[in-house]
Amino acid sequence: MTEYQAYLKNYDGEPVRLMEVCGTHTAEISHSGIASVLSPNIRLISGPGCPVCVTVTSYIDRLVALSLEPNHVVVSFGDLLRVKGSSQSLNDAKALGGQVRMVYSPMDVLKLADAEPEQIFVFAAVGFETTTPVYALLLEEAQKTGIQNIRLLTSLKTMPPVIDWVCANQGGIDGFLAPGHVSVITGSSMFEPLAQTYSIPFAVSGFEPQQILLSIYALVRRRGKGDVMNLYPSAVTAEGNKAAQRVVNQYFESCDAAWRGMGVIAESGMCLRAEYAEFDAGSMNLTDDRSANPNCRCAKVLTGAISPHECPLFGSQCTPQIPQGACMVSTEGSCYQYYVNHRK
Amino acid sequence: MKITMAHGSGGKATSELISDIFSKSFSNPILARMEDSAVVPGAQTIAMTTDSFVVTPVFFPGGDIGRLSVCGTVNDLLMSGAQPKYLTCGFIIEEGAESADLERIADSMAKTAKEAGVCIVAGDTKVIEGKGGVYINTSGVGFVPQGRNISASNCETGDAVLLSGFLGEHHAAVLSTRIGIQNQIESDCAPLNEMVCALFQNGIRVKALRDVTRGGLATVLNEFAAASSCCIELNEQDIPVSEPVKAFCGILGLDPLYMGNEGKFVAVVAKEDAQKAAEVMRAAKYGANTSVIGSVVPGEVGTLLVKTPIGGTRIVPELYGEGLPRIC
Amino acid sequence: MCVAMPGRVVKVDGTKAEVDFSGNLVRAEAGLVKIKPGDYVLVHAGCILQVMSEEDSNNLMDLFKEIESL
Repeated sequence: MTEYQAYLKNYDGEPVRLMEVCGTHTAEISHSGIASVLSPNIRLISGPGCPVCVTVTSYIDRLVALSLEPNHVVVSFGDLLRVKGSSQSLNDAKALGGQVRMVYSPMDVLKLADAEPEQIFVFAAVGFETTTPVYALLLEEAQKTGIQNIRLLTSLKTMPPVIDWVCANQGGIDGFLAPGHVSVITGSSMFEPLAQTYSIPFAVSGFEPQQILLSIYALVRRRGKGDVMNLYPSAVTAEGNKAAQRVVNQYFESCDAAWRGMGVIAESGMCLRAEYAEFDAGSMNLTDDRSANPNCRCAKVLTGAISPHECPLFGSQCTPQIPQGACMVSTEGSCYQYYVNHRK
Repeated sequence: MKITMAHGSGGKATSELISDIFSKSFSNPILARMEDSAVVPGAQTIAMTTDSFVVTPVFFPGGDIGRLSVCGTVNDLLMSGAQPKYLTCGFIIEEGAESADLERIADSMAKTAKEAGVCIVAGDTKVIEGKGGVYINTSGVGFVPQGRNISASNCETGDAVLLSGFLGEHHAAVLSTRIGIQNQIESDCAPLNEMVCALFQNGIRVKALRDVTRGGLATVLNEFAAASSCCIELNEQDIPVSEPVKAFCGILGLDPLYMGNEGKFVAVVAKEDAQKAAEVMRAAKYGANTSVIGSVVPGEVGTLLVKTPIGGTRIVPELYGEGLPRIC
Repeated sequence: MCVAMPGRVVKVDGTKAEVDFSGNLVRAEAGLVKIKPGDYVLVHAGCILQVMSEEDSNNLMDLFKEIESL
């Protein structure tokens, strides 16, 4: 056991609450059983870092409707297919005869669109700063090759505004495990204003369990200090990937965005610039957020305000088989993780 | 309720579909045991099973639907401790299929049946409208020696859990073809006779056997933990996964514990027989990478645990949903 | 939320590249980073995001010492 692992296991100082804001971190933390090697005085909370979890119901409803329209095909990553909108998911739409296809990369839609020019291919463009550049490249390529039957329905979000929202509206977080791959694009310096404003440390972490443990260690040790520590230097720099930032800014601009359970957060999303409206499948004004179940407490779970156990539906009316909200649908959602891992 | 793809994935949705509709209608004590084959009394104890094969594409790296259809049923019989003897096969062929392809499939079935020591003694063919798809059902019969009792409910604290080789090869091979990732991964589709017979011939006290098909290792071991009311703990580092499959999973965000295999099985054996069991399995053609992956431990009943390389523990549930590739 | 993996560039073809991940060849977009065959790159959703440095700059003990010195 390394020195920092031993420290974390034996820590008996002031209780510390740390939040990770990246769904992939949430998954790796569960996968490695990290919570089981930490002192009970160190609590890990999953924040709103899973783009699937924070997508509002009206976005899913629009995708479902599009998939059922003649000559429309909805193309999506696997993660989104099970999430229900106000009543149905894309999987449900498929069973009703809707056209839904799954791909590994947004670039795959170019081949699909080229092969079937009579159909409109709508890509369910969800993601954070890591994925937005890929959508920009997709549009660049579509323009270059003259493909005209591709559209994006966007639900693109950015991290700093939602982290700011959590700090300003909720508080109680002593450190943030900063998303490693978002930082590859944006640069670690993106978190400095937040760290300084709230005097909370940020540790940009890789995805190996040892890297995550070291990052947790750094956050516990630097509690109360507004440091941004880059603990993933092989991939992350302070300024990030400038070429990616440029291509994103060419096609997208900052806009207000609706977050499941949190309402609209100003300037927290990315939308297609007006000159690229021909690629938009109607992404504006998808702010309505209506869980099929009015007792769903995803909003509070997503921001770490309550633990899944404090939701009245958890484990009884809401389980991975009959998920009521995104926190239970997504394999990275807090509720799903708590349920399958029997976390207390 | 519309049937969705999740109902076919081998995980929770599938087991609920079976219990809510089929078990309810067909209910009887033999079916209720939900083993890989139905073991029924008679002059000799007979094991019977059936399986349908709908894989696309029908030809994939390392195999084809024909080989699959023989191995799948043969292996289910073996998993109940039976010596497989006779198979039937029913074809449902969509208009437009190529007869040359059917010849290849039939040839493959014949070769595989010979390897597995079984005879295909009856069959049926139907043609329907469609786009050239081919679907096969095989049913099988085998005989269980007197006194042999292999069941998911036999596991006891202390028993060792063995896995016959690398996980995820079949699933990765088929998915690679569909998603356009080039690699050398091949389906592991194979009949398991040699290994299973070797276990019995060497006097290994075998408690339970199950082949690790749809739903993956996690689903199978959860079934054992539930049927035996026990807790099973695995060491992640001892679970064999090849480097290419590990990387394939990394690219797509898949977990090898939930991926389908067509030539792998788990054996739960008495603790004292674990090393010998591993030796005899490794000596067999398809068992070179056999590993003792864990054991039955005292703990929360009906639970599967995995000890991680950093010394942590996580609970591994059965498969929910379809196990689709993730980007998140 | 960002499943991404490091792999080795095998071939560069304009703004596309072939990247090898322990025997899996993936065609990825290479328009965002300058790359050459042999580079170790991070790939997300079919797109190369970064060239990873090879020296063990993620050396945990070095990073640990840096944290201690803050």
